[in-house]
Order: sequence, then C-alpha cells, then structure tokens
Amino acid sequence: MKRRLPLAICFVMGVVMIIQYFIPHPLSLNFGSMINKWYIVLAAFALVLAIGNLIRHHSKKIQKRKQGWPYSVVTLTSMFAMSAIGLFWGVAPDSLYQLIYLHILTPLGATMFALLAYFMSSAAYRAFRARSLEATLLLAAAFIVMIGFMPFGQYISTHLPPFAEWIMRVPNMASQRGILFGVAFGSIATALKIILGIERSWLGGKE
Amino acid sequence: MKWYEAISKIDRRIIYSILTICIILPFFTRFKMRQNIMPQTKQLFDFIESIPSNDKAVYISFDYDPQTMPECHPMAIALLKHCFARNIPVIGGSFNVQAPGLAVDAIATVTDEINRNALSRDDSLIYGEDYVYLGWKSGFIAAMIDMGESISGVFPRDYFRSSVDSFPLLQKVDNYKNIAIVIILSASDYPEYWILYPQSRYGVKIGAGLTAVMAPKYYPFIQTGQLSGMMSGMKGAAEYENLILTHGYAKKLGKAETGMNSQSMVHILIIVFIILGNIGYFFARKNEKSQQ
Amino acid sequence: MFFILLLITVSPPTNVQANDNPNDAGSAIFIKWQVSKDDSLIEKYIILRKASNDTIYERIGFTVAGVSSFEDDETNDASEYTYVIAAVRNSEVANSEPSNVVHSYPQIFHSGKLNVLICVIVYTALLGIFVSKARKGTKLFVRKIPGLDAVEEAVGRATEMGKPILYVPGLGDIDYTSTIASMNILGEVAKKTAMYETPLIVCNRWSVVYTVSKEVVKEAFISQGKTEKFKEDYVRYLTEAQFGFAAAINGIILREKPATNFFIGRFWAESLIIAETGTQTDAIQIAGTDSVLQLPFFVAACDYTLIGEEVYAASAYLSREPLLLGALKAQDYGKLIALIILLGFTVLAFLQIDLLSILRMQ
Repeated sequence: MKRRLPLAICFVMGVVMIIQYFIPHPLSLNFGSMINKWYIVLAAFALVLAIGNLIRHHSKKIQKRKQGWPYSVVTLTSMFAMSAIGLFWGVAPDSLYQLIYLHILTPLGATMFALLAYFMSSAAYRAFRARSLEATLLLAAAFIVMIGFMPFGQYISTHLPPFAEWIMRVPNMASQRGILFGVAFGSIATALKIILGIERSWLGGKE
Repeated sequence: MKWYEAISKIDRRIIYSILTICIILPFFTRFKMRQNIMPQTKQLFDFIESIPSNDKAVYISFDYDPQTMPECHPMAIALLKHCFARNIPVIGGSFNVQAPGLAVDAIATVTDEINRNALSRDDSLIYGEDYVYLGWKSGFIAAMIDMGESISGVFPRDYFRSSVDSFPLLQKVDNYKNIAIVIILSASDYPEYWILYPQSRYGVKIGAGLTAVMAPKYYPFIQTGQLSGMMSGMKGAAEYENLILTHGYAKKLGKAETGMNSQSMVHILIIVFIILGNIGYFFARKNEKSQQ
Repeated sequence: MFFILLLITVSPPTNVQANDNPNDAGSAIFIKWQVSKDDSLIEKYIILRKASNDTIYERIGFTVAGVSSFEDDETNDASEYTYVIAAVRNSEVANSEPSNVVHSYPQIFHSGKLNVLICVIVYTALLGIFVSKARKGTKLFVRKIPGLDAVEEAVGRATEMGKPILYVPGLGDIDYTSTIASMNILGEVAKKTAMYETPLIVCNRWSVVYTVSKEVVKEAFISQGKTEKFKEDYVRYLTEAQFGFAAAINGIILREKPATNFFIGRFWAESLIIAETGTQTDAIQIAGTDSVLQLPFFVAACDYTLIGEEVYAASAYLSREPLLLGALKAQDYGKLIALIILLGFTVLAFLQIDLLSILRMQ
C-alpha cells in the first residue's frame, strides 16, 4: 500500500495531464490551471519544511561551534532580518526590502558571476591539453573561435572572423541540436517510465 | 622541478593575479584596436541611419537585468546616442521587472551628457518631446499586441507616474505606424515574441541586442529578414560604439570598447597559458618516453 | 486653364471569410480576406464587427497593407457575428461585403498537436514491445558509459579517505525531467553510501526538491537496513538565489572537503563556479546535465561527464533492471525512427518536394 498508492496517484495524474495537453477546451485549461495552483500551494508548504531544515542545521552548527559557525550566524540573521523587513515594511519598489535586494544581493550575485572569468581561465589552462585527437580538435576550435572573435583576429587573417562565426553557427549549433534531440527523447522516456510505474527508484526502498 | 613541469603546473593564484592585471590594465591605458564590424551590427546601424530625422520614433525595449548589464547596457547607451544625434525620438519600455532601473540609468547617462553640452533649447533633449520612458508592464504578449492599437492605452502613465497624454511625443506616436523600428535589448527570448506577434500582425520592423550566448539562436531570423539587424554580446556593443564614433555621433568610445580590450587581453592570456601548458605536457611526455 | 481632377477611388477588399479560430478555448474568430486591388495605395485595413443583436458595426482593430488576416480574440461564444473589412486611404474608405455569419466555440481536441499524439502512441508502443522483451529475458546490449562506471569507484574512494560525498541535484525544480532523473541516480548513490556508511551531503535549491531528495535518501538507508545511520543533516536546503546557492556549495566544498562530487541535473551559469572549486580540493567529480550550454564547462572541469540523455539512462545502467533496460532500448529506437524521418524530409527538401503542405499538417 505504501508503494501502491503513490504509484497509482502518479499514473492517474500523469495520464490526466497528458490528456489535458491535447484538449484546448476551457474546462481542460481551468483544470490545468488549478493543478498549477495546487503545485504552488504544495511548494509553499514544502518551503516551511525546507526553512526548518536550514534553521536546524545552522543552529546546531552555532551550538556546537563547528568550523565556520560565524557564517551560520550571518545566514540566520540575514534570513530573519529580510523576512521581518518584508513582512512589516512591505516589498514596494521604494521599500527597504527592495533597497537591500538591489544594493546588496544583486551586486553579490554579480560578483559571483564575475568569478567565472577566473575559473574559465584556470579550467582552460588545465583542460585544454592535446592528449588525444578529440582533445586536439577541441583545442584547435577553441583557438580559432577565440582569435576570430577578437578585434585583432582580422589582422592575422581576414578569413578568420567569418570562419569563427561559421564554427559557432554550423557545427556548434548542429551538435547542440543533436544533443537536444537525445535529451528530448530521454525526457519523454523518463516521464513515461515514471507515469507507467516502470521507474520506481524515486520511491526508494526495495521492490 | 624541471622547466616543462613548472610551465604545465602553474599555480592558479599566479594565473588569477596576471588575469586581474590584464582585466584592469585596459582601463588605464589608451590603446584601441579597430573592431571587425559584423554584418548584422552594420545592418542595424544602417537601418537607424536610414530613418529620417524628426519623423518616426525608435522604440527600445529594455529587457536586460543586472547580470547581463555588462553586455546590454553599452548597447543601450550606444543606440540612444545614435538616435539622439540623428534627432530620432526614442520611446522606451520594459517587460523584464529588473530592467527599469537600468533603463533609467542608460537614458539619464546619455541625456545628461547631451544636455550638458547643449548651447540652446534646440540642442537639448526634452523629456516628453524627444524621449519618454514608459516603465514596466506585465503580461508582455497582450501588451505587445495592444500597442499596435495604442501605446498610451497600454501605458497610460510613464515610469515617473505622469499621464502620457501630456507628452507631445506620444500624441504624435501612438502605435507602430509611427515607429520605425522596435529594438529589444535582452538576454532571453523576448525578440522571438516581438517577431511572432507585433511583426506578423502589424509589420513593424524588429532589431535586437542580445548576449553572446543567445545570439546564435537568432541568426536564422537575420537570414529571413525578420530581424533588421542585431548586436551580439559585448563585441556587438563595441562594434556599434565604433560605428557611431567613425560617423561623428559620439566623441569617444564607450565601456564596451574598454570591456572588449579587457576581453581581448584575457583571451590572449588564456591562449598563452594553453600553449605553455601544452608545451610542458609534450616535453614531459617526450621525457617519459625517452626514459622508458 | 482647366484642371482636370482625376478621382482615384480605392477598391474594397473582397471574399471576406470568418471562421471559428481552431484549436482554442473559444472566444476567438479568424477572419481572412483578399486584399484590395489597390493594396499598394492602402494605408491600413480596419476590421469592423457586428453582433447579430446589434445594428451598427464597431471597429475592433486594424492591420497594415498587405496583411490579409486578423484574429478577433474578444468574442462571446453565445453570440453570432459578421465582419466587414474597410480599406483606408487618407479620408477614403472602401468597405467590403459582409462576411458569413459565424460564432466561436471551444474545441475538444487540438488538431495541431496530432503529430505529438502520434509520437506519444508510437513511443509508448515501442516501450511496451521492449519491456515485454526484457520480461521474457532477452539480453539487451547497452554501451559502456564511463561516468556511470565510475560511480562505484567514486563512492569507494570517499569511503577509504573517510571524507563525505557531495551530491547536487541541479538547480532545476522538480518539474524538470533532469531533476527527476537525478533523484533516480541519487537513490542508487545513497544506497551505496548507506552500505559503506559514508557521509553524504545533498544540497537543494528548491523546497520541493529538498523534500523529495530527503525521502529518496531516507528510503535508500532503510532499504539497506541502516535506518539509524540516516542523519537529517545529510540533506540540506540552501537558498533559491542562483549565485547564493553557488556560493553555499563552494563554502561546503572548501570547508567539508568532500572526496567525491556529483553534479547531476539542470545547471546554468554557476556550473563552472562549483565544478572548478571542486578541482581545488582534488575531489573526483562526476557531472551530468541536459543543459547543452553548460556541458563544455563540465567536460573541462570534471573527471567524468554524462552528456544529455546519458543522465536519463543512468537509472537503468546502474540498476541493470531488465524493465529499465527495455525502456532504454525503446528510447534508442525512438531516436532511430526520428533520424530516419529527418533524413527522409531532408532528401525531400533537396528534391524540392513540400510533403507537409501536401499532407496539410500544421
């Protein structure tokens, strides 16, 4: 029963939502919209559990003075402070909440994003070694594209920029689309396996 | 440690330090590399060039966020400079909720610069006459379609909460009929929706300024003529800055050009490190084989 | 001097036809017409509508010259309408004859998705065929996937070193199929960690994914008879902010120094940030994603990368269950059929035969 009930719910809802996709009638659309709203409600309840986990984890860390416990203090303080500010002073465009979001959180996010420049260079230095034929081809393509898209690439050869653009537009797009095809079929297969109860590892436990 | 081992195992802190210098240096040195102008950027520039002065307006949809600001913000500034230099009125709007702050900043940067150098009222840019920023609107598909009937119907108030009925510009330009081109500056799929809805229904011309990652997806639209031009990434912005400089619409290059100099320096550095790493790798392998 | 004034009158549009807009929820009518003979002189076409109980036509929209269709999406299904198209040039207006009487209604089946329905039926049939073959005991070949072969070795390494295993099921919510596939792999990894009593850290961005992954890990421990070894701390919720999540993962990697990192699911720009941080701690890294833009970063920074559909094949590959292997074969044959259709249409396009318009499919 413990496994049969979730499998049955999964099958029924999966089949119903597949059928809903093909019916444009308002009844079908309203049903789909209702399911989406239920999902949002479920996610809100799940958020309570998730926040509970976050508070429990960091509180234990502070209590036991584990490595990095001051960061846990910062985490919990920020979480409670932002919640209180949003709840009591509102989230309007000119509110303190928005001010903190725009002037602290957004620049922090941009800073993390900026780290990519450093990580790309160290990853490229470490990974782009001509160990095999495929690695050499990867290396050559990377060189051509990098040099072709730079301003002085045209000084090395006037054919380099159009060739670099061709690599991005043709072989690169073709391989991306090939992978996307495989991903699409894999997605369909996974979804059907779960709906039909063939795939049960998400339930956990023994068969 | 042998020399080839040293160059194949350079400490990442050394790499990051040199990288930091390469990124910062172009901001303090004046060197300029002539940009290779891509055809799609030139196409967009030529389209704006072909718009008669004081006639139809250009609509710019500011749909980028702070994360993609380094690529899209210079595009916005370069476009605004081009339009204002040619006395083309500009109407701005946004469908991305994070964009309005950036749009206001871009418009203020350009208008303040022009008005500082203006000698008379005729040289100045007047809000409501030469440009208007309408702010953010939700429900972008319905809004795009309804703007074909009436822009003021979709945006009864501008970003600063003033009634748009008081603006001479919006009395003159109230739907796509008086808009020469809509240019979308975005890191997501907004241009596709503009092509799908307003262009197919009202025939309005569409241009785009996209991040480098998104740009390849829109090459087919350039080929079919559905896009009248496109800037891709910081390079596209730098190319546009070069074009407006060479045509006398700006006195100096913008941040994209400096950013491209940094980017070019970093690319050269990465290439040098990759070459060093491979030289070290080959010599190490050769040494291993000779020892066997 | 006499001036002869030539009056040029525009011709009206003709053959106005109005039909219910197909494949929708009602409240929409599609109008098409033949453009005026003087279309090049026309400014615009104004669309006028009259309900059956009205006496006058009201303007509902306009199109520019050259456009010969319009969708009226504000109709009442209970009313009947007629339409007139007015060609406008300066102050001249030329009205067409009224259209047929029409009313809008919702459709039961979206005919434009018929090709999708056929694909789903064909695919389900393939699934049925190969699953029944697998049930009968037919041996099904699956090629080696190095990334999945390395899972056992990776878990063993962490156990020997006495360090934890980090598992990140991607930044996608539970409605992403790659997240569900990642849950399947998490189940297998959690079983192994339970067996070897290796610490596990599962980091989640979304609350629903957190609850699902917690249940998956807990059940894995129960299945191995190690219920008391399961700790609440193994599965953590971090934050929904993309780069906040990346920063938190980096902190966990640098502080807890896991011996093995699994990055399996949907990733965005933060992929290289977390993968490259993992290399700093000399962890063995196995990544898998269906995001084509992030694959190059994982290939550069990780020891093994599952590319696209290999993520979806993982569950079958790791468990070697006959039913799952059968489903995997069906996936491959489905791709083969798609490939044959693609090649066929490519040849037809080369021969300039437009089969789609012949078949009148959308």
